[in-house]
Amino acid sequence: MERRDFIKIAGGTFLAGSACAYAFRFLTASNIDGLIVENLTTGRKYGMVIDLTKCIPGCTACVEACHNENNVIHSGDKRWDIHWLRKVTIENKLSPEVGKKEVLLLCNHCDKPPCAQVCPVQATYKRHDGIVIVDHHRCIGCRYCVIACPYNARMFNFKSEEEWHNKDHPKRSHGVAEACTLCAHRLDKDQPPACVEACRNVGTGAIVVGDLNDPRSEISKLVESRAVKRLKEDLGTDPKVHYIGL
Amino acid sequence: MFDLNKIKEKAYLIAALAAVVVILIPIGYSIVTNLFAGPPQPRPFLEMPDEKYKECVRETEFMRQHHWELLRTIREEVVRYGKRTDININKCRECHVSREGFCNRCHNSVNLYPDCFGCHYYPEPSEMAEKMRKSGDKAILFGQSIERLPDLSGE
Repeated sequence: MERRDFIKIAGGTFLAGSACAYAFRFLTASNIDGLIVENLTTGRKYGMVIDLTKCIPGCTACVEACHNENNVIHSGDKRWDIHWLRKVTIENKLSPEVGKKEVLLLCNHCDKPPCAQVCPVQATYKRHDGIVIVDHHRCIGCRYCVIACPYNARMFNFKSEEEWHNKDHPKRSHGVAEACTLCAHRLDKDQPPACVEACRNVGTGAIVVGDLNDPRSEISKLVESRAVKRLKEDLGTDPKVHYIGL
Repeated sequence: MFDLNKIKEKAYLIAALAAVVVILIPIGYSIVTNLFAGPPQPRPFLEMPDEKYKECVRETEFMRQHHWELLRTIREEVVRYGKRTDININKCRECHVSREGFCNRCHNSVNLYPDCFGCHYYPEPSEMAEKMRKSGDKAILFGQSIERLPDLSGE
């Protein structure tokens, strides 16, 4: 092949390719108007404060409310049951005078979430308001996030839920990993999460959810005025669930 | 002993035959299946919503072609950006009461089984009729008697 021919063919191929690429945009373009995703920067950063000094021992109102709101599997069979919010009893054997303590454990909605970093399909991600959430439509069930989470907050659905408690909310499907969503569907409508509401109804008000970036919000005042602790802060995940009296 | 040219000829012949077979199999398959397919299926008839609801969220022609695209866009916005509008799958069921008569009939006829309703709630017609009977709101049921709805699934 001569140099001239080579340049001709190469140039022709390049032009045809770019024309195809240009046409492809129109072929695949979505003709849905008015639904363009705007760059949402509300500047919010949701966080949670759990006041363990107020929390009543043995009370599981928040856990039940969470399970009913989000249709979380809780049939009583330990093999399949998953927990978005769970209560564990901790005990310091070196200093027994402290006594036993009940601690609520849930997804910490880290600012640098390890689960989102390991997700191979970007199903787990951090929303613009700081909530770490799973897109069940994308999740392939590889369970990397379950392993990566240092708080054991992630659970895998081995079974889909049979009972449908809250029919306005999707059912949990099997084969996807899940964790607390901080009731994002309720926060988007400016309603408090189910656990917060249940805790208020009990009369305790130990759980507070709010905007950490807003200095006038209840949660920011609590974080500033009280001695708060976070779990495994040394890992650098920057969790947003704060504990009082841990 | 071995004639290289003959072997080459044979190899070319086999390759040509294989190519022809590979091209002919799908054509033959489609011809044969069409021969035994029987009469074409009638176009599915979808249940219309009540007169009260004259407008869908988009034009009918658009919804017919691109409803899945619209739903996918909405899904992306809600799940990934938290931008909730009043257009959602719950809104569909306000007018299109019966999933059997509205979604499934068309999807089944084109052999399409989206798994939306494994997780999202869209009541069965009998369940919806029961709900309507309790609340006494008959207007939603296309101005028809409630007892007709459960029969839709029996086709």
